Amino acid sequence: MNIDRTIAPQTEEISSFNLVEANSTKLENGINIHRIEAGNEAVLKVDFVFNAGSLNQSKKGQAALTNRMIGEGTSKYTAQQLADALDFYGAYINTRSATDESSVTLYCLSKHLNSCLTYIYEMFTDANFPEDDLKILTQNSVQKLAVNEQKNTFLVRKYFYASIFGEENPYGSSVNKEDYLNINRQDLIEFYQTNYINRLEHIMVSGQADNSTMIEIEAFCQKFNNTITRTILPFPAFGASAERKKFHNKPGSSQSAIRIGRPIFNRNHKDFRKFQLLNLILGGYFGSRLMKNIREDKGLTYGIYSSLESYKNGGCWYIETEMNNELREKGLIEIYKELKTLREELIDEEELQTAKNYLLGSFLRSIDSPFSLADRYKILLDYNLEYSYYQEFIEIVKTTNAEEIRSLANEYLQETDLYEIIVGS
Amino acid sequence: MIQYNTFTLNNGLTVIHHQDESTQLCVINTLYNVGSKHEDPNKTGFAHLFEHLMFGGSVNIEEFDEELQNAGGESNAFTSNDITNYYLTLPSNNIETGFWLESDRMLSLDFSQESLDVQKSVVIEEFKERYLNQPYGDVWLKILPLAYKVHPYSWPTIGKEISHIENATLDDVKAFFKSFYCPNNAVLVVAGNISLEKCKTLCEKWFAPIPKQQINKPPYQKEPKQTEPRKETVYAEVPQDMIVMAYHIPARTENGYYVADLISDILGAGKSARLYNALVKKNPMFSELDAYLSGDIDEGLLLVEGKLLPNISMEEAENAIISELDKLKIAEVEELELQKVKNKSETNILFNDVGSLNKAMKLAYAWVLGDIELVNKEAEIYLSVNQNDIKQLAKEIFDLNNCSTIYYRKK
Repeated sequence: MNIDRTIAPQTEEISSFNLVEANSTKLENGINIHRIEAGNEAVLKVDFVFNAGSLNQSKKGQAALTNRMIGEGTSKYTAQQLADALDFYGAYINTRSATDESSVTLYCLSKHLNSCLTYIYEMFTDANFPEDDLKILTQNSVQKLAVNEQKNTFLVRKYFYASIFGEENPYGSSVNKEDYLNINRQDLIEFYQTNYINRLEHIMVSGQADNSTMIEIEAFCQKFNNTITRTILPFPAFGASAERKKFHNKPGSSQSAIRIGRPIFNRNHKDFRKFQLLNLILGGYFGSRLMKNIREDKGLTYGIYSSLESYKNGGCWYIETEMNNELREKGLIEIYKELKTLREELIDEEELQTAKNYLLGSFLRSIDSPFSLADRYKILLDYNLEYSYYQEFIEIVKTTNAEEIRSLANEYLQETDLYEIIVGS
Repeated sequence: MIQYNTFTLNNGLTVIHHQDESTQLCVINTLYNVGSKHEDPNKTGFAHLFEHLMFGGSVNIEEFDEELQNAGGESNAFTSNDITNYYLTLPSNNIETGFWLESDRMLSLDFSQESLDVQKSVVIEEFKERYLNQPYGDVWLKILPLAYKVHPYSWPTIGKEISHIENATLDDVKAFFKSFYCPNNAVLVVAGNISLEKCKTLCEKWFAPIPKQQINKPPYQKEPKQTEPRKETVYAEVPQDMIVMAYHIPARTENGYYVADLISDILGAGKSARLYNALVKKNPMFSELDAYLSGDIDEGLLLVEGKLLPNISMEEAENAIISELDKLKIAEVEELELQKVKNKSETNILFNDVGSLNKAMKLAYAWVLGDIELVNKEAEIYLSVNQNDIKQLAKEIFDLNNCSTIYYRKK
């Protein structure tokens, strides 16, 4: 069979998708249970979410350390007994503390869920934050921080958020050595009592979440005596730095870490989804302008990306890369040149179409596993959106034209609005 | 349980097909049986540099990524000591684009000096980003040549040194392609929403016409048994001292590999692991302490890696690790503790099976190991390990004459 390899096979545009939707129930005690039943393996991911982020803390590090200590002992079990028990069932526990909320995630085989829940319940109702374990944790956190502070990528990230949101704002602040040393057991107990005990907000179960799984989850939730509803705390004002360009000298670095960006709207803004397309074109995928120009054409970096981050009370957009110190200036010129081109010139149809097709394809990839389906649903929950948000996303991506891309770039990507942070030598 | 079909094309290309009707995607995973261990010791880092060039356009297609992205797809690749693995994901109705792209770069690349020069600089930046501009980033560059004196695992996949990458010529690159990139040195896994029939038709159409080649794999030597303790001290600008101890373990295809994997879990996996409880929690000497396997196909390493607390000396730290390892040689692990790590591996195996891409990679890797059915057999192999196996292997490997140690000291 003779084939002409110079001709690409026919392709179809993505127009529809099958998305497994969540099933939600609200119990009388106010706990919401969200269920995503998908996947072929008998595994489960269970997220337990608390309104216990750093926004709720009175001392820096309080929310994060409480969250990390939640499995470090209860009055019935020591930290090791808890770890032994959960490890025996082959389970994994992840804790995560962010500005807007904190969570504990359980990964386990469906058959071991009930056994694991027994210990999780103890953690959520009776954690006792042993002094010794806390001392070890703070000591090790200080050590880890010292290692991280040698990484240019870690520092540039920290300086960037502080610059665009202000060091005092929860989105811009970071925990330093003194903060860790300043936290005591009482701080954690107080935070735990106010924000964890009987304050479980919701549970998201994804994977092979069959009926018997859900019966176990519901029985677990029924044991809580939640009475108080969530209080919405006022969000502190932003305090962006007046200085837009900062260079932090790190002698001995062979590369510079660079972040250029700005604070921007969050997911609830009308331009968010259109901006996702613009961001993709500039630096959101391997075929982006920044990647093509700065890596694939000039070989100045191993990677360069731009990203859009959304939080409940704000958002930001940035370009990030690591580059050879000597070629840094050359790279910066190219970055600003690409931004200027986006503001001034119309994107050609072919490039726009490729970006659209890629973005739609990556949307399909993002709804392919039970766990990523849970992530998609979490977004809807966090921003009070409906599933139609995703159908509309497809429509917006398909109909956005070159003029709209250019005017969006003009509105949001002006050089004078950007912060430029560099850590290098 | 992963279900699959296999067939072989006339040119020697092995194809593995896995169908999953619940997804809207389809994956093509192409594994070439070549890694950094097949490199010339004076031209290291080649397999990985070559991986970069595979995205620089092929004989009939100028822009690999653009064509793929235009069909809604995404791709990436990785290189290890043993293999080079390429994967792409597409909406299943556009999967033929993947066959077209992947087969064209198996047929031949569009070798250009310009693309080689750019990718050389990209890889040099990658070298710096991952190995030089990171605290402790070069430890891998130090431990491997200490542990391996003869076997090519003595250099990392990125290469021994930057100059090897700088000196790569277009002729070197062409020779590398000719020796290793051919259908009879590869396995193709097609997984996702695609029928066996369609998979066969597309394989015949796009891959069958690619001619078979003579594979030129230079022989390399097996690492002789280590017979003396090896130690090296490194000084660097780091905030705390670190110790890395590397013990030789059995090859991936031997039963002993699974035993070693369970040993590394007993020592280092999770908060109930022995090293963490003894030396991070009960008697704190380390801020972090882990044990893990290098994960190679030939005889690999079990590594113990720990960052020391400020007031602890390297000698104290080393002795404390050794005495924990020795416990495994003296007393059998308790049934419950063994069961625990077996349960962990069951969880790991099942979570790693989620999604077509994970399954496809696993199938391809099992092919390189010589038995595709391993994808369904490994859980049982772990279950069959008993307490005595653990003790016997611990006795065999936890011997200072089998150990290479790096003292990574802060300046």
